[in-house]
Amino acid sequence: MTRVGQWLHERIPVSGQQLRELTNEPVPNHLHRWWFCLGGTPAYLFVVQIITGILLAFYYKGASESAYESVHYITHEATYGWFLRSLHKWGATFMIAAVILHQIRVYFTGAYRRPRELNWIIGMCLLMCTLLVGFTGYSLVFEQLSYWGATVAANICDAVPLVGTLCKQMLLGGAAYNEQTLPRFYILHAAVLPTTMILLIAVHIALIRLHGVTEFRSESEHDDAPRHFNFFPDHMLTELMIGLVLMILLSAVSTIFPATMGPRADPLSTPEVIKPEWWFYVSFRWLKLFSLSFAVLSTGFIVAAMFLWPWIDAALRKLTGYEEVSVWIGIVATFLLVGLTVWEAAVTH
Amino acid sequence: MRKSLLDRELRSRTGVKIVSEILKRTRGHAGQSTMNNHADSASRRAFLLTGSCMGGGLIAGYGTLGIMAGQFLYPADDGDFGWQFVASLHEIAVGESREYVAPSGARVVVARQTEQETADAFIALSSVCPHLGCRVHWEPHNSRFFCPCHNGAFDRQGQPTEGPPAAAGQQLVRFPLKVEDGLLFIEAPLSSIARES
Repeated sequence: MTRVGQWLHERIPVSGQQLRELTNEPVPNHLHRWWFCLGGTPAYLFVVQIITGILLAFYYKGASESAYESVHYITHEATYGWFLRSLHKWGATFMIAAVILHQIRVYFTGAYRRPRELNWIIGMCLLMCTLLVGFTGYSLVFEQLSYWGATVAANICDAVPLVGTLCKQMLLGGAAYNEQTLPRFYILHAAVLPTTMILLIAVHIALIRLHGVTEFRSESEHDDAPRHFNFFPDHMLTELMIGLVLMILLSAVSTIFPATMGPRADPLSTPEVIKPEWWFYVSFRWLKLFSLSFAVLSTGFIVAAMFLWPWIDAALRKLTGYEEVSVWIGIVATFLLVGLTVWEAAVTH
Repeated sequence: MRKSLLDRELRSRTGVKIVSEILKRTRGHAGQSTMNNHADSASRRAFLLTGSCMGGGLIAGYGTLGIMAGQFLYPADDGDFGWQFVASLHEIAVGESREYVAPSGARVVVARQTEQETADAFIALSSVCPHLGCRVHWEPHNSRFFCPCHNGAFDRQGQPTEGPPAAAGQQLVRFPLKVEDGLLFIEAPLSSIARES
């Protein structure tokens, strides 16, 4: 051991053997296919969001009288501000898409089943946090659509039985959008939600390490084919490759379609055409189809069922005796999700 | 350099001495306890008593802090509303309406429905959709108030005719009105984050 190595070892008493044990978790063979590696994608994008978010926070002013102007400054005057804001905006879009795809993959491969139910719940919490962080971030621009999006969302909260009004008051800092609202969104977006997410991601990864990744074997695979490969360096290389592709893709999309700005929020006039960000198209269409109380209660019921799915699935399998019942429910749910999103995207009202 | 290293070593040795002394005393105490079951049980009782007192104190302290944080985050008031002058009663004839602009910038349609000289003869409709809080606007060609958020529509009386508000029977909220000495007053919001232009 060199002198530097010895010096380091004395201060960080971890042996090479211990390091190898820590990093060389056997990875199931199906993870050679990149679409099974979607769990690492949101984690990578989360890091991108934190870095770009910190940079944007140097210029952003979280108050209704100055927020729009500060975003305008970032976009049009600060050096590379347009690019960093675009990276942040597209990073959010990619991250939400990656989280949803990851969850769909976990669902269809049944990776949430016993004993991994708790990790599914943590994943669901992470999905909710991701959607919330997306919503609060979108509201920070203080343009017309983000202002009215926040107003609509707060009033949806209000329709939740028992705690709805309290939630709305706490979210807005009053009965309606006022000067206290934007700072609350900012704190939630930049401090409360990211910290919660870091903690949840740590527990999520710890539980994955404790249980190991669910093994998934395709029918075409030979029985004598190797079942595992090494995390380091084999899987690490796949993740690095995905990271590189994402970086190129994110930079390209941010340059070709940079983040723009709509008109400044006007609390006295709702725009003729109002749409939330694409990830809320489903709930927006749902709200148009049904009365508010039904839409809110049914959404609550669906979200609760998603949280409890590992147990609901187990009960359904026991009841029907059919192992793949969740797959068919998943197919219907995915069609509904995609169908309502496309429907909302295709029409003006 | 050499001296500071020696000093540090000395301090560390002093520290070691103190720690070993504490350990020795603790071990001594534990040793006595294992020999005497009664003493062990007393120590556990003492621990439980002290622990629950301290734990209770911490819970009470942090609980109070939690309540204070909740009250700190809960909004202090729901915004300022005040009575504002709209017009003299004779200025608005039956069937006519007048647009009133509140200090917050909100535009309110005030219409007279009967000859009565009381507030009940008038109607002042809020432009906030009762469904999810978007602003409705008047569409003259359709003779209706329309909300672009979820396609809600209302007639000139504020009654819902289409969309989610019609399904839920939600009508446009009326601003409170009062008549004093032949003058019509409205209770309207005084402030908003709308930018003054």
